[in-house]
Amino acid sequence: MNALLEVRSLRAGYGAVQVLHGFDMRVNEGEVAVILGANGAGKTTTMRAISGMIQRKGSIVFDGEPITRTPPHEIVRMGIAQVPQGRGTFTDLSVADNLRAGAYVHKGIHIESDMREWYDVFPRLSERREQKAGSLSGGEQQMLAIARALMSKPRLLLCDEPSLGLAPIITQELFAILQRLNTENGLTILVVEQNANLAVKIAHSVFVLETGSIVASGTADEIANDDAVRKAYLGY
Amino acid sequence: MPTAIKESSPPHWLARILAVAVLAALALYIASSAKPSTLGNITEACTLAVAAVALNLLLGFNGQISIGHSTFAGLAAFTAGYSVNFWRWNPYVSLAVGLVLCFVLGLALGLPALRLKGPYLALVTLAVAFVWPTIAAKFLDKKVKASTLKGTKLQPPTWTGLTNSRPDRAVFLYWLAVVILVLAYVIVRNLRKSRIGRALVAVRDNETAAAVMGVNLKFTKTVTFGISAAIAGASGWLTAARLDRLDENSFTILNSIKYLLALFLGGAATLAGPIVGAFVYYFVDDYLKTHAPTWHWLPGPISKGPVASFLLGTIVIIFVFIAPFGLVGFIKDQVRRVFVVTPRPLKQAVASPELIEHTSDATAAESSAQD
Amino acid sequence: MGQLLQYILNGLAKGSIYSLIALGLVVIYRGTGHLNFAQGEMALFATFGAWWIHDHGVPLLFAITLAAALAFVGGGVIEFGLIRPAGKKSPFAVVVVTIGLFQALNSLSGLLFQGAGTGLPFGTLFPNKPNDFFRLPGDAIWRYENVGVLASVLAITGILFALFQKTKVGLAMRMVANNPDSAKLSGVSTTRILMLSWGISALIGAIGGALVAGINTNVNLATMFGVFLLASAAATLGGLDSPLGAVVGGLSLGVVESLVSNYPKDWWASSYVGADTSVAVAFLIILVVLLVRPAGLFGSSRVERV
Ligand SMILES: Nc1ncnc2c1ncn2[C@@H]1O[C@H](COP(=O)(O)OP(=O)(O)O)[C@@H](O)[C@H]1O
Ligand SMILES: [Mg+2]
Repeated sequence: MNALLEVRSLRAGYGAVQVLHGFDMRVNEGEVAVILGANGAGKTTTMRAISGMIQRKGSIVFDGEPITRTPPHEIVRMGIAQVPQGRGTFTDLSVADNLRAGAYVHKGIHIESDMREWYDVFPRLSERREQKAGSLSGGEQQMLAIARALMSKPRLLLCDEPSLGLAPIITQELFAILQRLNTENGLTILVVEQNANLAVKIAHSVFVLETGSIVASGTADEIANDDAVRKAYLGY
Repeated sequence: MPTAIKESSPPHWLARILAVAVLAALALYIASSAKPSTLGNITEACTLAVAAVALNLLLGFNGQISIGHSTFAGLAAFTAGYSVNFWRWNPYVSLAVGLVLCFVLGLALGLPALRLKGPYLALVTLAVAFVWPTIAAKFLDKKVKASTLKGTKLQPPTWTGLTNSRPDRAVFLYWLAVVILVLAYVIVRNLRKSRIGRALVAVRDNETAAAVMGVNLKFTKTVTFGISAAIAGASGWLTAARLDRLDENSFTILNSIKYLLALFLGGAATLAGPIVGAFVYYFVDDYLKTHAPTWHWLPGPISKGPVASFLLGTIVIIFVFIAPFGLVGFIKDQVRRVFVVTPRPLKQAVASPELIEHTSDATAAESSAQD
Repeated sequence: MGQLLQYILNGLAKGSIYSLIALGLVVIYRGTGHLNFAQGEMALFATFGAWWIHDHGVPLLFAITLAAALAFVGGGVIEFGLIRPAGKKSPFAVVVVTIGLFQALNSLSGLLFQGAGTGLPFGTLFPNKPNDFFRLPGDAIWRYENVGVLASVLAITGILFALFQKTKVGLAMRMVANNPDSAKLSGVSTTRILMLSWGISALIGAIGGALVAGINTNVNLATMFGVFLLASAAATLGGLDSPLGAVVGGLSLGVVESLVSNYPKDWWASSYVGADTSVAVAFLIILVVLLVRPAGLFGSSRVERV
């Protein structure tokens, strides 16, 4: 299968502190991949390294192009969109402006029709288009964050703990949407999750991250059958 | 490998005593041999240095910015001028009262500082600096403006053997300025090296951590503001002692900026920085004022303009990038290649481990700078 | 009644200039959280530039336009060359740089423009002869110059708001102001936006400076001190991160200043309140606003507080 994202000996950190200690990772086109790991394992750091928000060493190749030194605003243009941890919506901007912000890398008339398309997928956003994003509920903000990322028409969507702080029922709805985006729109998705049952259910491949290194990886079935990983991350 | 010297070990004490002896000898030599005009210049440089030392306590060690220190200098200067001329106060009493007033005004300004950070505190002090000259202009009539400590108001005491003649008076004012500068330095130095000083720096570096380790934030910040204001007041009193006339333009925002630039030039957060900076600032300014107009290679109008202000403002900007701790920081870095002073272990743990390390780093840096 | 109207009209003209300079402060503050202490002196330098260009035979309006365009470039250069590298060191380094700039630009004006200390004559864009005014009910008059200044500032403000709200660049500016990380993740080059913010700030500062100089018919080294203070007060009053707040704050401060300094003295029972009280009023406003409501009237409460 065709690798959309290929990461080799990725090292990154904050100032003098190294957080990621050089691991490899591969996400195939059309897949949902999941990174599992405890709090502080380096999941967010991995996402930020891929999207260019922090200095990183090693090699990151997206669709055959090295992006290890590319700044974040150009990486978006190449087709990677990140939904950051804690949602990262523009709280002072209206819902509609948040979506326009997501389409910043595109020009022209398609933007409004794209917006209508995502309003159909996320009807609750449609009802609140003129409201400030900061006034939405947690679940609505997460939907908005995803819709905003999708407005850039990415080929790879990075989602950092989308379920954080959401009620279980909303989380289920969210993962259903992610799965649909994958199966119906063919979007490749890399999701970070701490609480992983739902994520593994929609995943094709899984990476387990511990203190900055990948300690296990494989297909979702393989990981679900690995006793140690299952106990630690899936809780059964 | 640099040679390590333990703090307060005999070699370190020797170095300290030597430094003090050399400086004292220099001060005596200048007093006995310099022309009155040179003494006047040094007095002015010391006056600027006192204000910069005051600002260093607040900004360098406690991280609070003030663009309003000219106001404190002005308050003490006018207090002295008024009380000595109209109420016949003893000039030293007027100094004490001026310092108390500055301390109180400083506390009052320190109060908003409790709630405000960064640009907001700067804004408040900036506003004070702007307001002061207007108040001065409103409340002070001509007679008051002209009243300073000139002439017979502040005379050399008889035990000094000095008369009130012009040369003797220059010597006297010179010593007054030197003594006040030394006192200001010693106060700030001892504060810095004490437990309180560690609290100041802890507050500067991380307020939350400082609060957790038991520093009383409110008390520390307001009192620092008060003490700093009082020291700035001493600088204002010196100005009143030296000048024949003060008016609303004697203490404007430009003076505040000058104190700040002198501090940055010498090096904020170093003990010697404000003094070195003030002397360099003053004498560069003085030199260019007298010499630039004779430089024929400069276009005429430029050589007569504020060459020094421009140059010094620019240098301070450049220093942000090449010498963020000013001249003293720069020299310190060079010296540290040869000698390092290792700090003496703290008797009492007041900080979390990383804070102690940080603080003692700074202490070591400063010790090597002063000696 | 007529007199009250009169003072309000006079205050609006000056207040509109405060709001222009305040907008400049806000545009920068929103981008980076820095307060540009050199804002007034940057405007002063550009105003001297306009004077110089005009002095070489260029009509005043074009001279001001040209100076404003150069200021736009200069603002971007200052951001790129000084503020950004300093910001990488510490927020404090930026404060030092802007204070250094304050002095350097003020003295550079003194060096380059002979007679700057005492003041150079500056023309006005609007008719300002003694009888150039509209008559209004109640014996009030509205001077053409005041109308012109107010109208120009409102027009510029309108253009700026249209830029912020209706254009893609404006969207990017709002994105950077609200959430710089998400702005980057959406494809905005924040570095370019920050340069642009400084450029815009310098540009409107230059226009504000020229308008002040026009009202005073003179520009000197102290021209911008008081204006800058009142603009800072206006920005504080409105909330440092709110463009609308800057405009409202500036206009109301201008009116308050006019009322306080003009209203019959017996209102105040003290002759100490009078012509030069505007700075004291500005000070009180800054202090009270910061103590009572640090975010200002329109600012978001994200504004930093202990
Ligand atoms: N901005 C930062 N500065 C310094 N260290 C950080 C920063 N963000 C995260 N870290 C550290 O990096 C490590 C990994 O953090 P993170 O990637 O956020 O973990 P996760 O997302 O897996 O919970 C943690 O030890 C954390 O303390
Ligand atoms: Mg995380």
